[in-house]
Amino acid sequence: MMKLQYKFRWFLLLGILAACSAASAQEVILVANKGLQVTAISAADLRAIFLGTKTRFSDGSHAVPVTLKGGPVHEVFLRHYIGQSPDEFRAQWRKTVFTGQGAVLKAFDSESALLQYVAATPGALGYVSRFSPSDDVKPLPTSK
Amino acid sequence: MQKPTPRRKLSLLFPVCLVCVFAGSVRAQNFHGIQFHGFANQAFLYSSDNNYLTMQSNSGSWRWTDGAISATDSLTDSFRLGAQIHMYQLGELGGANLQLDWATGDYKVNDSFGFRAGKVKTVEGLFNDSQEVDASFLWILLPQSTYPVDNQSFTLSHLGGDVYGYIPLGKRSGTLHYTAYIGYNSLDENGGYVKQLADDGLAFKEPPGGKTYGRDVRWAAAMRGLTAGCSAIVMGLDGSAPAGIPQVPSFLVNTEYAQFTKGKFYLAGEFRSTPPAKALTLELKTFPVPDDYRAWYAMGSYRLASKLHVGTYYSHYLNKSISTPTPAKYSKDWVLSARYDFNPYFYGKIESHFLHGTGLGYYGTDNPNGLKPNSDILAAKIGFSF
Repeated sequence: MMKLQYKFRWFLLLGILAACSAASAQEVILVANKGLQVTAISAADLRAIFLGTKTRFSDGSHAVPVTLKGGPVHEVFLRHYIGQSPDEFRAQWRKTVFTGQGAVLKAFDSESALLQYVAATPGALGYVSRFSPSDDVKPLPTSK
Repeated sequence: MQKPTPRRKLSLLFPVCLVCVFAGSVRAQNFHGIQFHGFANQAFLYSSDNNYLTMQSNSGSWRWTDGAISATDSLTDSFRLGAQIHMYQLGELGGANLQLDWATGDYKVNDSFGFRAGKVKTVEGLFNDSQEVDASFLWILLPQSTYPVDNQSFTLSHLGGDVYGYIPLGKRSGTLHYTAYIGYNSLDENGGYVKQLADDGLAFKEPPGGKTYGRDVRWAAAMRGLTAGCSAIVMGLDGSAPAGIPQVPSFLVNTEYAQFTKGKFYLAGEFRSTPPAKALTLELKTFPVPDDYRAWYAMGSYRLASKLHVGTYYSHYLNKSISTPTPAKYSKDWVLSARYDFNPYFYGKIESHFLHGTGLGYYGTDNPNGLKPNSDILAAKIGFSF
């Protein structure tokens, strides 16, 4: 009986940890300009676009990735979708800029500013914790 | 080269300090779509024996300052212009001369094909094109067996054109990234090779240069974090000296490398080699160039905390053309390093080297009493980038 209780507590703890992890990822929603024809983006393409190695979506249209300047949503997005910390992401882009291989992504102080830009810019792609229909953007789910 | 006066030393240090003090208020500037970025850093070097990298490091030396400003403008979705100017002082090398690191027009037809032209950073190995971007890596000194800092400006870029792109290999096979280039390269008149040749009695009217071409192919595995690749570069040198016209025929440098990142861990290694039988011809005479080297390193690092990064590497250099077993034949360097990021712009590094052999980084004129076989080095650096 003691052994069962012990195992139950471990499973409960693991379940809570998994739920927290899933909750962290669900706090970040990928949003794109409504004019974008693609309806989903692969995890690999998303990573390549935000790291600058890929500049187009799967339909050939130009991608304009934008980021937040900081904050928990920015950190969760980078860790979950890009696999880097904010410092690693910044170092990666500094290397890109100082080697002449790219320009730094546009970054915004607030989610509302990011949403306004994504709504107004063809091909724009960003991430927020929430949005409303009035923001005039569309969610872009990831596919494996 | 004239040694700078104390006033001139201060004039190099002062702007670096000023930038560091006001670090928090400076961000990358964007004027009418043109992005401006920059970096500056100041280092201190102490060595237990021998003076290293043309610095009087045996007494402790502050003569290591570096800074650059870049401007980039994406004129269209596919076309970008940019340039970067750079200055450095490394002991007696460099000086208050502005150099053009790179200046390119870059047109991307699609993700699989693009081309750049102008003065273009040379893609070779893991760090060649970013070796001067101190803010982008943990180390104060990259492994000197493959990235000698005293000759950085020679290998950093070429005048010419590149084609580049990447090719998806499928979901389970990753992607292949390629770069191929052709152009012209010349020694830095204020760099290590020219100083070394001058110390040996060969002064130039103009620093030698010659055609260069090469390619880099790297495979980014489907397993996130693993990259492996190989580079090949061919270069030759022609010069003009009072003693005649020195020439080094084209020779090939091969590099193989791999890196792996998993969470807070990072591992990397490279192996570089040149073929034997290089020669310098001066008028009708041929002098063998004793430079048949094998160079490699293995490094690892770990992020202890979001702001604290530590690591170690072993760097190995062996010149097989020197037949006698002297310390000048090799350079073996054990390194411990740490970096702390005070904020997104300002960082500090500290590093120790346990250096065996005198094959790299030492100059006879800076060590008139001869070289001891081993030397321990302590380096510290503060840096700023935006």
